[in-house]
Amino acid sequence: MQPTIPDVVQTIPLPYYIWFASALFVIGIVGVLTRRNAIIIFMSVEVMLNAVNLLLVAFSAYRSDPAGQVFVFFIMAVAAAEVSVGLAIIVMIYRNIQSIDIGLLNRLKG
Amino acid sequence: MLSIISLSLFGILNLFLGFLKSRRVLLPATLLFIALAFAANLLDWNHQYVYFRDMLRTNNLFINFSSIILLTTFLTVAISRSFGTDEEHTHPAEYYAIMLFSVVGALMMVGFENLIMLFIGLEILSVSLYVLTGSDKRSLRSNEAALKYFLMGSFATGIFLFGIALVYGATGSFNLSAIGSYVSGGPTTGISPLLYVGLLFILAGMLFKVSAAPFHFWTPDVYDGAPTLFTAFMSTVVKTAGFAALYRLLTVSFTGVYGLWWQVLTGVTVLTLLVGNITAVYQSSVKRMLAYSSVSHAGYLLIAVAAKTPQSPSAILFYSLAYSIATITGFAVLILVAEQKPIEGRPDERYEAFNGLAKRNPLLAFSLAVSMVSLAGIPLTAGFWGKFFVFSTAVDRGMTNMGMVLVVAVLMSVVGVYYYFRVIIASYLKTGDSEPIGIRPLYRFILVLTTALTIGLGLFPDVVRQLF
Amino acid sequence: MPYLSLLIILPLLAALLVVFLPNRNQTTFRWIALVASLLNFLLTLLLFFRFDKSVAGYQFVEQTDWITLSLGPLGVVSIDYFLGLDGISLPLVLLAGLVLAIGAISSFEIKQKQKAYFALYSLLSASLMGCFVALDLFLFFLFFEFMLLPMYFLIGLWGGERREYASIKFFVYTFLGSIFILLVMIGLYLSVADPVETAVAMGLVPGKELVDANVIADVQNYLQEGRIEADQIVHTFSIPYMAEPGNYLPQSLLNIAADHVLFGQSARMLAFVLVFLGFAVKLPVVPLHTWLPDAHVEAPTPVSVVLAGVLLKIGGYGFIRIAYGLFPDGAIVFAPWLGGLGVLSIVYGALNALAMNDLKRMIAYSSVSHMGFVLLGLASLTSEGVNGALFQMVSHGILSAMLFLIAGVLYTRTHDRQLDSYRGLAARMPGYVTLTAIAFFGSLGLPALSGFIGEFFTIMGAFNSPYLPNWMAPVATLGIVLAAGYFLWTLQRLFFGEFWSKHEAGLLTDVTPRERLMLVPLAALALMLGILPGILLNLTQSTVGEFLKNF
Repeated sequence: MQPTIPDVVQTIPLPYYIWFASALFVIGIVGVLTRRNAIIIFMSVEVMLNAVNLLLVAFSAYRSDPAGQVFVFFIMAVAAAEVSVGLAIIVMIYRNIQSIDIGLLNRLKG
Repeated sequence: MLSIISLSLFGILNLFLGFLKSRRVLLPATLLFIALAFAANLLDWNHQYVYFRDMLRTNNLFINFSSIILLTTFLTVAISRSFGTDEEHTHPAEYYAIMLFSVVGALMMVGFENLIMLFIGLEILSVSLYVLTGSDKRSLRSNEAALKYFLMGSFATGIFLFGIALVYGATGSFNLSAIGSYVSGGPTTGISPLLYVGLLFILAGMLFKVSAAPFHFWTPDVYDGAPTLFTAFMSTVVKTAGFAALYRLLTVSFTGVYGLWWQVLTGVTVLTLLVGNITAVYQSSVKRMLAYSSVSHAGYLLIAVAAKTPQSPSAILFYSLAYSIATITGFAVLILVAEQKPIEGRPDERYEAFNGLAKRNPLLAFSLAVSMVSLAGIPLTAGFWGKFFVFSTAVDRGMTNMGMVLVVAVLMSVVGVYYYFRVIIASYLKTGDSEPIGIRPLYRFILVLTTALTIGLGLFPDVVRQLF
Repeated sequence: MPYLSLLIILPLLAALLVVFLPNRNQTTFRWIALVASLLNFLLTLLLFFRFDKSVAGYQFVEQTDWITLSLGPLGVVSIDYFLGLDGISLPLVLLAGLVLAIGAISSFEIKQKQKAYFALYSLLSASLMGCFVALDLFLFFLFFEFMLLPMYFLIGLWGGERREYASIKFFVYTFLGSIFILLVMIGLYLSVADPVETAVAMGLVPGKELVDANVIADVQNYLQEGRIEADQIVHTFSIPYMAEPGNYLPQSLLNIAADHVLFGQSARMLAFVLVFLGFAVKLPVVPLHTWLPDAHVEAPTPVSVVLAGVLLKIGGYGFIRIAYGLFPDGAIVFAPWLGGLGVLSIVYGALNALAMNDLKRMIAYSSVSHMGFVLLGLASLTSEGVNGALFQMVSHGILSAMLFLIAGVLYTRTHDRQLDSYRGLAARMPGYVTLTAIAFFGSLGLPALSGFIGEFFTIMGAFNSPYLPNWMAPVATLGIVLAAGYFLWTLQRLFFGEFWSKHEAGLLTDVTPRERLMLVPLAALALMLGILPGILLNLTQSTVGEFLKNF
């Protein structure tokens, strides 16, 4: 009999997923905090979201509960909406200053 | 529920209205839509409904919070005129539609019963606001604010989602009550550490949205850079919805671990109060001062959340109402005053721009003074009762727990008097231009209305309080 | 007749009238304010004659429901519009009526923005009167806070050069104080039940009118035994109910018997200290006094007169009515500290006054010194001391009003208050000298003038007090010696010797009839109270006697 997808997922122990997702997540955070290019920061955020997706899928498979996977679809859809708005903002900025280096954005001082 | 559906439809309708040649129908139409949604919202009064297999729940608390949100939106839309500076590039229909959509998100945050809905509501609200923040396309400040808000906001969303994922891993559900029964039921193996970490991540994400310190760093820049109208919208609607969601999440799902989040929240509260108030003192722009003041008010609202007494929801409601009305008034006056004498093509938002306002337009000066007095929390205004109810929840929780927070809150409200009164000093005690400022009838009506509401709520708080 | 409401409503009506009358005729505004304040003064005199001196309780009581908030498990909060007058508040109401009327006359010299000025002045009058007659703590607090706003604008708009600094300093100091009071107020309302309304809520009696002493005693018993459901307890802000230990919820924060501990201190003691600090800013007590000289120096004459004559008295009144009335245990524990602060204010204020060259600043510091006697007298917790403190408040109200008017006379002529700008004024301004001399001698405590009686009684109280150490009374007497020093020295510097002035001699004319109209009645009153102190002491005696039974 063909193994079901949850069975395949469960061939790797759950903590591995957690550690892997956490590692991805931390990579994303570090990227956001250290990079200066708006696109790269944005990609780092996407890495964070994908870490979340991975984690949700793993939990969902281990618990045989579809809710987690449904959530993943929502995250993907919303992230797509976010991407379109975010890229529009970045394009808008690029038109104005011909750069997307966030270090150049310092008109607002706190 | 009807309000959420109708607002979504109205938003789409609004986009179609944008095809009309005449733009004059847009503002009345949008106001009418909001009023209709407000009425639809009230239909469910004293009923409890659960929708879409435990996704949304409406009850009186939901109706109260959403009424405040709709009222604030109404006021904000009513003081809007044109978006952007030149006719060719303004698309009022789109902006009104986006505002309506963001309110849909806010309402979902108020009524969620499932973390999925919270996430979607939060994102609808946030993504709309990214657009609104950057709506002044030609202004680099607005662009910059939008980019900062967008990057920081999506970063916070990532953290928030990671928290949800961990909580899901621990409890196996996104449903608020299911999580609640896991947390307080105490599983045989003990509460999974994933839950604690997840809760902290969720808290960080939510506190970011309500701009509590140390997650507030984006607030001043974004509020400063965004067109003032949307700053007013952001600082009121997002705050109300954010606190409604935070309170709901913490009390329904995480009452069992009150000891944990209480400590986090009191720390955050103290920090928020200190940072918000003390930094506000050093601002030279009224807009930035109001931005930091919104941070400080997040601190006061957090007191009521951290106290978690049966009176907390009504205290949060009253405080949000008082704060929203006063803040809208403040920003409304700021918009008018700042555009009188632009500096290098952009509005003059410094304190000096308010000099001699009492001479130029007594109504503007008076309503500004009332709103500042209310924000400072001086009696006979709504803001005083807001503080009173919030402090009562803290006293009720017990001085051993909340004493420290109360002391800081008290000292900081005195600091608040200083910077709020700087505006009043400028408009009444200093002399400046004497050129009168004219206002349109609707604008005048809104100012009179908000001022009357602030004073009325200050004199008879029980009228509204009974509903909460 | 709702006399006490009239006291508040008359000035409010005047304020409204001023606001809504057209701008064309600026002079009508001052007449409206003056007529309202004179009517108010007549009303206070009427109260004086109709007041029953032998009764210790509250008279002319008015009570209506105002705000009723149901707080679920926290019970019901009821805030009443509750006014009343007793032997402690009546002298101060009389004083306020008089000084506000004098201030209205003095305000005729205000020439700019008259509409706003007289509206604010009337508003200030209303809230000052309200403070003295309110018996609901919340109502009191409202008047107390609301008073800040007109005062803030009166100093800030019509003041001298550093008016912005002075007005915001005044505001922030007093606001800080009132927030302390607010905190205690919240604690009190959570702790105190209204036995009458609770009886109605429990269904013991069908209506409030039917509640008698037995029912109240029953309710208090039930309350102490914890037999009342939490949501049936009606919480109250009524000061008389707060003064009765029987109305406190058994385990509440501020119950005497429960003795809660906060931050390692007893909760009631902390509450006393907070309330004390709140009113100490107003009195003012050293070291919280620094706003006072600034505010006085910058304020226009009539505002100074009201500030010194009435506003400071609210601090003393608050001590008696709220700090002492609601926390008698705290008053006993802290008596030596309060007495010490009183003595410190007396001596520190007097030493500062000695060093001042600005006439108004000198008078401001003398106020600090004189208000120290009030605190000392109260801290003694003896009949002499408390009666003396009340007497001193009234006497200082009259004399300091005079002193600031006198400073105003000089200032309107030359716009210069520096003492070393003048010499030998006696020759050119004989009327002025006479009136100044009366005010100065009254203030330095010369017998037969009112200042003597107040200081004498408070010091006697300090001597007799079982709570105060013996050294305090003699040190306080040092304050009188110093006062004699600075007043006589000022008198000498200003008036004696050869006439000389920095300014044109022609400017320095004698007092005008209008100034005489303000100064002469005050001087006469100071003399009358000095010779017949019984007029005032009879009013206060029985109430103070009742009040001291708490200790």
